[in-house]
Amino acid sequence: MSASYLLRRLLTILLTVLIVSMLVFGITQVLPADAAVMLLGENATPEQLVAVRARLGLDLPVWQQYLGWIGHVLRGDFGTSLETGLPVGEVMFTALGRSLLLALLSLLLMLVVAIPLGVVAALRRGRASDLGIGLASYVGVSMPEFVTATLVLITLGNPAFGLLPSTGYVPLTEDFRGGLARLVLPVLTVSVILVAHVVRMVRSEMVDVLGTDYVRAARMKGLSRPRILFRHALRNALLPTITVVALDIGYLLGGIIVVEEIFAFPGIGRALIVAIQQRDLPSIQAGALIMAATYALANLLADLAYAALDKRIRYA
Amino acid sequence: MPDTLRHLLRTPQGLIGGGIILMALLAAIGGPAIAPFDPEAFHVRARFSGPGATYWLGTDQFGRDILSRILAGARSTLFLAVAATALGTVAGAVLGTLSAFIGGWVDEALMRIVDAVMAIPNLLFTLLIVTVLGASGVNALIALGIAFTPGMARITRSVALAVRQQDFVNAAVARGETGSFIVLREMLPNVVGPIIVEATIRVAFAVMGLATLSFLGLGAQPPSSEWGLMVAEARPYLFRNAWMMLFPGLAIALVAVAFNLFGDGLRDALNPRA
Amino acid sequence: MLVIGERDGCRPGMEALMDRPAPLSRRNLLAGTAAGGLALVGLHGAHAQTARRGGTLRISVEQAPSKLNPLQHRVGPEYLLGEMLYSGLTRLGPDMAAQPDLATSWSSNPELTEWTFRLRPQVAFHDGSALTAQDVVATFQAILDPATGSPGRSNIGPVDSVTAVDPLTVLFRLKGAYADLPVALAYTNARIIPAAVLKGGMARLDREALGTGPFRLVSYEPSRLTVLERNPDYYHPERPYLDRVEVQVFPDATARTAALLAGDSDLMLSAAPTDFARMEGAPGVKGLRTPSGQFLNVIMGCNQKPFDDVRVRRALALTIDREAMVELAAEGLGTVGADTPVNAAYRFNTALPPREANIAEAKKLLAEAGYPRGLELTLVASDRPNTRAQLGVALREMAKPAGFNINLQTMAHATFLDQVWLKGPFYIGLYNMQPTTDGIFSLLYASSAPWNESKWNNASFDKLVEDARRTADDARRRELYARAQKIMYDEVPTLIPVFFDLLAGIRTRVQGFNLHPRGAVYRIEEVWLGGA
Repeated sequence: MSASYLLRRLLTILLTVLIVSMLVFGITQVLPADAAVMLLGENATPEQLVAVRARLGLDLPVWQQYLGWIGHVLRGDFGTSLETGLPVGEVMFTALGRSLLLALLSLLLMLVVAIPLGVVAALRRGRASDLGIGLASYVGVSMPEFVTATLVLITLGNPAFGLLPSTGYVPLTEDFRGGLARLVLPVLTVSVILVAHVVRMVRSEMVDVLGTDYVRAARMKGLSRPRILFRHALRNALLPTITVVALDIGYLLGGIIVVEEIFAFPGIGRALIVAIQQRDLPSIQAGALIMAATYALANLLADLAYAALDKRIRYA
Repeated sequence: MPDTLRHLLRTPQGLIGGGIILMALLAAIGGPAIAPFDPEAFHVRARFSGPGATYWLGTDQFGRDILSRILAGARSTLFLAVAATALGTVAGAVLGTLSAFIGGWVDEALMRIVDAVMAIPNLLFTLLIVTVLGASGVNALIALGIAFTPGMARITRSVALAVRQQDFVNAAVARGETGSFIVLREMLPNVVGPIIVEATIRVAFAVMGLATLSFLGLGAQPPSSEWGLMVAEARPYLFRNAWMMLFPGLAIALVAVAFNLFGDGLRDALNPRA
Repeated sequence: MLVIGERDGCRPGMEALMDRPAPLSRRNLLAGTAAGGLALVGLHGAHAQTARRGGTLRISVEQAPSKLNPLQHRVGPEYLLGEMLYSGLTRLGPDMAAQPDLATSWSSNPELTEWTFRLRPQVAFHDGSALTAQDVVATFQAILDPATGSPGRSNIGPVDSVTAVDPLTVLFRLKGAYADLPVALAYTNARIIPAAVLKGGMARLDREALGTGPFRLVSYEPSRLTVLERNPDYYHPERPYLDRVEVQVFPDATARTAALLAGDSDLMLSAAPTDFARMEGAPGVKGLRTPSGQFLNVIMGCNQKPFDDVRVRRALALTIDREAMVELAAEGLGTVGADTPVNAAYRFNTALPPREANIAEAKKLLAEAGYPRGLELTLVASDRPNTRAQLGVALREMAKPAGFNINLQTMAHATFLDQVWLKGPFYIGLYNMQPTTDGIFSLLYASSAPWNESKWNNASFDKLVEDARRTADDARRRELYARAQKIMYDEVPTLIPVFFDLLAGIRTRVQGFNLHPRGAVYRIEEVWLGGA
């Protein structure tokens, strides 16, 4: 892979994010009820609304507002929240950090659980364990996060059983064990769909690879079973899986919105929901933009990982 | 086509999935007729009942019969999900085929926009659209349809690009047919197979997506018995009567499973491996 | 504070069951058999023991306190911060009377148009500067400035001007006679801020707190956690007892309750009716409950068809089974309403018998009004809190047999505020209790009311409320308000079928916390932590 390929990819990402910025800005302009309405709530009088709109710059033409905004964003300034008056960029990046922690742990758990399960299912094709794993993965893929989350909440998180703290967030730097314990339930919830999805992928790829001449030949050469499995079959089966995982990151960033809301996890998803409810335009804009950029970068990383695993692939 | 159907029903996925979908369709059509109670009638003295002889699946916070509500809700749930998928599929198919046919900078520009939209997480995108349109079942349908469009456009485009290279399209171009004729009559029919498979699986996502929007208060609105809304409304009563939430949740999962199975069966039936 | 609740449906505020005024005590005892019974014992014990110093109190709230500037506070969690960080001239007692805070005493001229307040000497702001009358003047000028966007502007009474007489005396001149000024000045937004800070622009108050309150701000991350510490220079020599207070945000009611039950928080300021029962059986936790003037009302535009006909409004009122409504909308944790906005939680209230459901009578009235075949109506409910839709669904079913065909439409709260609130002819409102009977009447129902949603405009009602305002004699005021209530009861400008109790949850080791019926009064500086 060459430097020019990387550069081109980065430029594409930049272009993508720019288009996203226009889309998001456009959407925020047509939201019913503006920030001034929410800010004043049911205490608003018409004169107050006019005063607050002028203070917030909501009375300028749209293109002027967009140029002003994007200019500041390019200089790293996402503006200040209409609600709290705090700098939006700082707030959103802090929240993003927490969400990434949640997402990465979920990915990790997914890899640890899904790959062995997929391999087992492939090796025992047609037997009870395969069918069981297959059925479970269908159900896993088909349960909306809020259903999974609630089930997790009344079982593992039920205070009556006292197993795990069900909600909140404590920075790991403050209280490592407590913080980790609070991550368990959200991570479990997010992982369910991922695991279900990836198990199916690994299984079908594994089945394909095990059927190839190349594995058969290896077997005939008398190589040991684990060796065939791990050195040859699994590596080839994992390649397409990585692409799926990259796509799943898009799901992941969406899915955590609901999970964060239910588990009171102060990540970027919840920050965005709150911002949308409050019509806090700078926060919505920054949050959506940061999410989109994260997704684009994650895809690039997945491509790079793919290339690293498969030396045969060359990028012009 | 009958051939495909035979193939489909021979796969276990196709058979099970098709069976469940058929049952759900029956509920959607005849639900109100076979429901034991009026789905909106209060039974104030029997609020929060568990499953039992009178109310088979129990009652909710107003004492409404949950079974009757699930049967009545099948219609809106299925209709919204299928319609959202259809909207996204048709829009995406037309856009993708057009893009492939015209090519050049139009293709490039369209695909960049598609990339950009797909860079916004799906749920966030639908959330923004529904917030603009206002919360209702129909608006959730539209939002989900719009959110599905770019993905479908991209899939259709890649299939269409392959089709475009083929002789019959070149022949039509040589005959001097108009662009719209070629797109609609020559290209679209030939990209339909893979699109239908994708669309079937998308219905499962649509069921879940609509339920999630309802859960966040942005989908169907009370007193509707759309399943996602039933789950959302049951959530505060989780520790009082968990059945209220469990049954509609199961219904959602069951229908989503069915469409996933059916889609996989369809895929196998359409490209039978040797 | 009318409107706090309206914005987000929070239920701020609390008072201990035992502190309720006499007329309510029997009800409270009944209410308190399970959870409250414990509370009674606990609190009696608390008063007998001496309060202990030290410890951290973790309070959970239902939404982010996203404004730090007290002049702009609108919701419960913000009022909580405002009360801990700042002080007002007066504060609201459990009996809805004014108590001294920064002002130690006050008096008025006989016409009730000029009020003088004496300030507490030697009070220091958190930055060390001394409180003077100039700070009070500057604060009220800022509240009255429309550009500040302070909800207090329409809630602090008919204030015309505020002047400093000497460094410790402030004079309020009013636009008209107003007997309730000391209570009105206890309003949640009327928190005193240093004049120097206001001069430099208010943006600073978005991230700093410079008050005279019992606690100082340590850190502020609105959507997650706000930390406060004891202010050693607070004017009360012993209080506060706590070293530290943490305000945690849990938007999800189930999650909030789980955190309390698990011991991750000590005090849950608002409990959902559905979660209240769960707290009774749990060890180390008790539920607090107090009847309140918080209500949901159904607003009917009295200036347009069909609601311009009083018979239609009465007919709709007659369809409601109010006892059942308390069950359905408030899970039984509320009291029946008689379509007037005041109830026993107010200082001035005359109980009226709530209407019994009477479908035949409702049908007859509807026919007389010219709708023998019934009426098609669209009722709008915002999505927050979900009790609005709950009430809407129940009303829809109850009104059906009388010929009302109500189509319920729910929408996002922001959209509701923008498009329906104050404009729509038929929607569901939510209002928290006001400190005074005058407050709720003149904010919602008088012809000149800023939130005259029903456009009812009744001259004799206006006159009675206006007269009561100018009257210092309590018995005479009670009489005037009783007549005003009766007019409302007959005319039904809005339906008020249910008053909601305020609910909270608390760990049993927390002492000295009282649930106030008005909401928005917390008194955390009186709270202390007992053993384990």
